[in-house]
Amino acid sequence: MVLAGGEGQRLHPLTSQTAKPGVRFGGTYRMIDFTLSNCINSGLRRIHLLTQYASTSLSRHVRRTWAARLSDDLDEFVDFVPPQRLFADRWYAGTADAIFQNLFILQEGRPDAVVLLSGDHAYKMDYGAMIAHHERMGADLTIAALAVPRPSATQLGVIAADASGRVVGFLEKPADPPGMPGRPDVALVNMGVYVWRTKALVEAVSADARTKSTHDFGRDVIPAAVQQGRPIYIHEFTDPAGSPHPYWRDIGTLESYWQAHMDLIAPVPELDLYDHDWPIYTYKPPLPPAKVVCGADNCAASVSNCLLTAGCIVSGGNVQNSVLSPGARVESGAQVSECVLMDDVVVGAGASLHRVIVDEGVRIPPGFRIGHDPEEDAKRFVVASGITVVPRRVVLD
Amino acid sequence: MGQPTILVIEDDDNQRLLYEEDLKWMGYNVVAVKNGHDGLQALQNETVHVVLLDIAMPGMDGIEALGKILDHDNQLPVILNTAYSSYKDDFMTWAAEAYVIKSHNLSELHQAIAAVLEKRGIAVPEPPAEEGC
Repeated sequence: MVLAGGEGQRLHPLTSQTAKPGVRFGGTYRMIDFTLSNCINSGLRRIHLLTQYASTSLSRHVRRTWAARLSDDLDEFVDFVPPQRLFADRWYAGTADAIFQNLFILQEGRPDAVVLLSGDHAYKMDYGAMIAHHERMGADLTIAALAVPRPSATQLGVIAADASGRVVGFLEKPADPPGMPGRPDVALVNMGVYVWRTKALVEAVSADARTKSTHDFGRDVIPAAVQQGRPIYIHEFTDPAGSPHPYWRDIGTLESYWQAHMDLIAPVPELDLYDHDWPIYTYKPPLPPAKVVCGADNCAASVSNCLLTAGCIVSGGNVQNSVLSPGARVESGAQVSECVLMDDVVVGAGASLHRVIVDEGVRIPPGFRIGHDPEEDAKRFVVASGITVVPRRVVLD
Repeated sequence: MGQPTILVIEDDDNQRLLYEEDLKWMGYNVVAVKNGHDGLQALQNETVHVVLLDIAMPGMDGIEALGKILDHDNQLPVILNTAYSSYKDDFMTWAAEAYVIKSHNLSELHQAIAAVLEKRGIAVPEPPAEEGC
């Protein structure tokens, strides 16, 4: 069950038209592609996508990407599950409520275990190994945990575990995160990736439905389960390809969205998109190859440390450390550095952009400058942590 | 506070009458209705402390009514009361606070009602010297 209903307010305006899992990521992908590819690569092919907010574009993308990759005959599916307003006449009040309102799905399938995931994280993970660990430990709940240096964990959900890996505490944004047994310099961060014994999940969300809470797994349900002394274990996250630095990001803010793109253009990125053994699937529109050519007056194009996607044209522009989504264009003499250009963005001749995220379809006029004067940018755009975001439908002159 | 009020939602006329008379005799206020729709309507008009809910009913059944009752007030205890133990295996019933199989002996039901009231600090009426059923 994949939670894909996040409104993503902190990613606004990128989420003004689509739910957070449907936001473009890494040039060609949508955020949801990472979780769904992990499912398919791990052999999980019965997937319920719990949607709520602005899901039209997300559902179109998922249908285009996944319908042909799954077999109805083998009972494989990605089903969309918006609030039915039947069992309870309300929208999903929280992540736990989203499961509670859809208990009929679990009742129909009666699986032994449920893998509960978020649709807005960027990472590659073999859930099969985690399920095997869950079964081996006889756990009610197994939580994927990322080991990070303790000072990096103060803004995240942190798990305290004993030497056997049993969870003994669950702390939200602790000032002094507990270290791991035997590794006091690192803390275990909750990745929002869970394997539940089905009956334990149903008991937990049913009990939560009777309490005054935010109906959230991280804030309410799991701390309560830990307090009850249920058998809950961690599964330390490792990269499927064996990288010593497994990559996981919750793309929650504009800054983290931009930073994750800068991570992707590193010469050897921690999130390797070129790993044939763990493909990240997505919908590929029928577009021509990316093209880098001289511009007007034979002005040479220059592109380095960039991700270019199908249909992009850089004609005489200078593009550095940037990600260009399908159909983006950079015209003669334009300067683009440390930027993310969404689909069909056009950067006019002589324009200059630095640390800018330009949303879909925006046309930057010739000679226009963005990202050089935060005060001026803030009058027309969204500026956060040094990043300027130009929303879609903005008309510039 | 006066006597606690129990909302009985039960489609079988005889069973409903039995519960109504028995629980009144036990000292409770009783509002008895014959289906889920009337039960939800009663919650709008009455202060209810416990809901006693049948499952197999025509129209809105007890499982659907359970979700809507919790939607109305998720602190309100619901005791499912059915002749079929198989419903206990249905995940959709697990949000009820208690599950009591119908029986001629109502002592288990009395105990379940007393338990959910005591858990909330609501005084349970003193039962008469001798139970009527």
